[in-house]
Amino acid sequence: MASAITIQSVTKTYTRGGESLRVLDELDLTMDGGTFYALMGPSGSGKTTLLNLVGGLDQADSGSVRIGDVDLGELSSSELAGWRAANVGFVFQGFNLLPVLTARENVELPLLLAPLSRAQRRAQAERVLELVGLKDRMDHKPRELSGGQEQRVAIARAIATDPQVLLADEPTGDLDRTTADSVLDLLQRLNRELQKTILMVTHDPQAASYSDKVIHLDKGKLGRIDDNRAASGGRK
Amino acid sequence: MLVPLRYNLRSLFVRASATLLTVCAIGATVAVLAGMLSLQQGFAVLFQERGRDDLAVFLRKGATSEGESGLTREQCEILAKEVPEIARTTDGQPLASAELFLAVRLRKFDGGETNVAIRGVQPASFAIHGDDLRIVAGENIRPGQDELIVGQGLLGRIADCRVGDTLRINTVTFRIVGTFTGKGGYQSEIWGDLERLAAALQRPVRSRVLAKVAPGTDLAAVQERYTADLRVQPRVESEREYLASQTGDLSQRFTLLGGFLALIMGIGAVFTGTNSMLGTIGARTHEIGILKAIGYRPFAIFAAFLLEAVLLGLLGGAAGCLLVLPFQGAETGTMNQTFSEVTFAFRTTLPVLVEAIGFAGLLGLVGGLLPAWRAARMTPTQALRRG
Repeated sequence: MASAITIQSVTKTYTRGGESLRVLDELDLTMDGGTFYALMGPSGSGKTTLLNLVGGLDQADSGSVRIGDVDLGELSSSELAGWRAANVGFVFQGFNLLPVLTARENVELPLLLAPLSRAQRRAQAERVLELVGLKDRMDHKPRELSGGQEQRVAIARAIATDPQVLLADEPTGDLDRTTADSVLDLLQRLNRELQKTILMVTHDPQAASYSDKVIHLDKGKLGRIDDNRAASGGRK
Repeated sequence: MLVPLRYNLRSLFVRASATLLTVCAIGATVAVLAGMLSLQQGFAVLFQERGRDDLAVFLRKGATSEGESGLTREQCEILAKEVPEIARTTDGQPLASAELFLAVRLRKFDGGETNVAIRGVQPASFAIHGDDLRIVAGENIRPGQDELIVGQGLLGRIADCRVGDTLRINTVTFRIVGTFTGKGGYQSEIWGDLERLAAALQRPVRSRVLAKVAPGTDLAAVQERYTADLRVQPRVESEREYLASQTGDLSQRFTLLGGFLALIMGIGAVFTGTNSMLGTIGARTHEIGILKAIGYRPFAIFAAFLLEAVLLGLLGGAAGCLLVLPFQGAETGTMNQTFSEVTFAFRTTLPVLVEAIGFAGLLGLVGGLLPAWRAARMTPTQALRRG
């Protein structure tokens, strides 16, 4: 059973230029496991902050963020690192591959944190690269790949350890429409076939249409949740 | 789990110019240290490898070197004839030679003057040294003649020292009749007949008695035996011990000077290393964020960047050693403890290389501490945002 995500009364404040900015304001939100969510809202509405809190990259000032049975607020930074390695995969707008490593070596990075032999790591990296359609490019460095291919490698890295939760921050922001659609197709397939819980930040309604549900944030608070599955416009 | 080493290794080559700059700074520092250590090795080995355990050196009681020592002709004879441990030839003559040792000012080829060791010897000296000493040009000196032979180490450094040249010592003109080669410091000496040199230098006393003894002879017991003898109270030690004591001070000075220079330059190299690593971390903040997001713990990040700094140091160390290696065997000269010119070779030995590269690794380690700590302390969001 995929892990549900529960956000309870979460507040997060940043101080910029001596000014306090409340980015998330007593936010309450529950996301079902195995569902593909898009997170939308105007700039500064707290989308990326929420994504970071769910991914354990940052911690809330108050309230709780629970993934399954784990309250992330109770973990130290080192414990959070361990938790991230096993439970969550990230896909960023800028692809975020290490430029000096090949596609396979990038995918192996999170696998090095798992108790696997070298052969098992290699086999798993090849398996996920095959899943994203890049087995034939696995010995290429990022600069030798197109933007879409880089993002596919980033997705392969994100799912390499088979985490239940995938977090994507504007994954198609740097891609042309056709390439963006292929990446979104891939994310949708991972959700449908592997039951990954996906939370994707996007400004693009067309990208959001690939999700099951669209969460709208506004000034750090929950606006509304649209259900694409109920509507006829959702691409399935 | 640590970040894979290949990530750090390849990153070093990606930022080639910064890496090269740091490698050069550390390399120069290491070259200075390795150079001084090589000189120290060359100097120490010059004397120590020649020192023999089956030769005994008799000096005046309390003297620490030949230059300070003084034994009368009679005292030398007592020692040669009465010490039973001294080996004898087949016809019963003791294998012992009284020697006179003095430094005289001679002209250098490259201008100026320097002290050169002059040694007056007896025919037994050549028998004592045996195959360790060979005439390589011209011929040997003859007893009672105003003749000299010159150590090969002086040929390129001191003027008027070739076979056929003449050398004036006080009022006496000596003729150079040969060139000899031998182990160690003797290569930097000029030898002549004891009596003729003593007369020319107006020195009635001898500096030492060198004698062949059976290996394993208890020379401390020999010295002890003469403690209460009013005729002669020598200081006795093996040639190996004597030469080791002669090189100790200068050898230590080389080490200290090398250490001092390496320390001063090392501080500069550490700053260069720190600066380079801070630049590296600045340029790769985003990558640090990626690694942290993936799940690498702060310690793994710290270890990765510290290791990268150490690798940088080791590369610098290797570069420094490469700078020094071409000088292997090159000869130079200096004043030794008896204030005479001594020629010795640059010896970059394996321990010198290991020490130099270890020092370079240490420079990298110290230079990398702050940047690595800074990288480890960044939160993933800070790192990802800054990138």
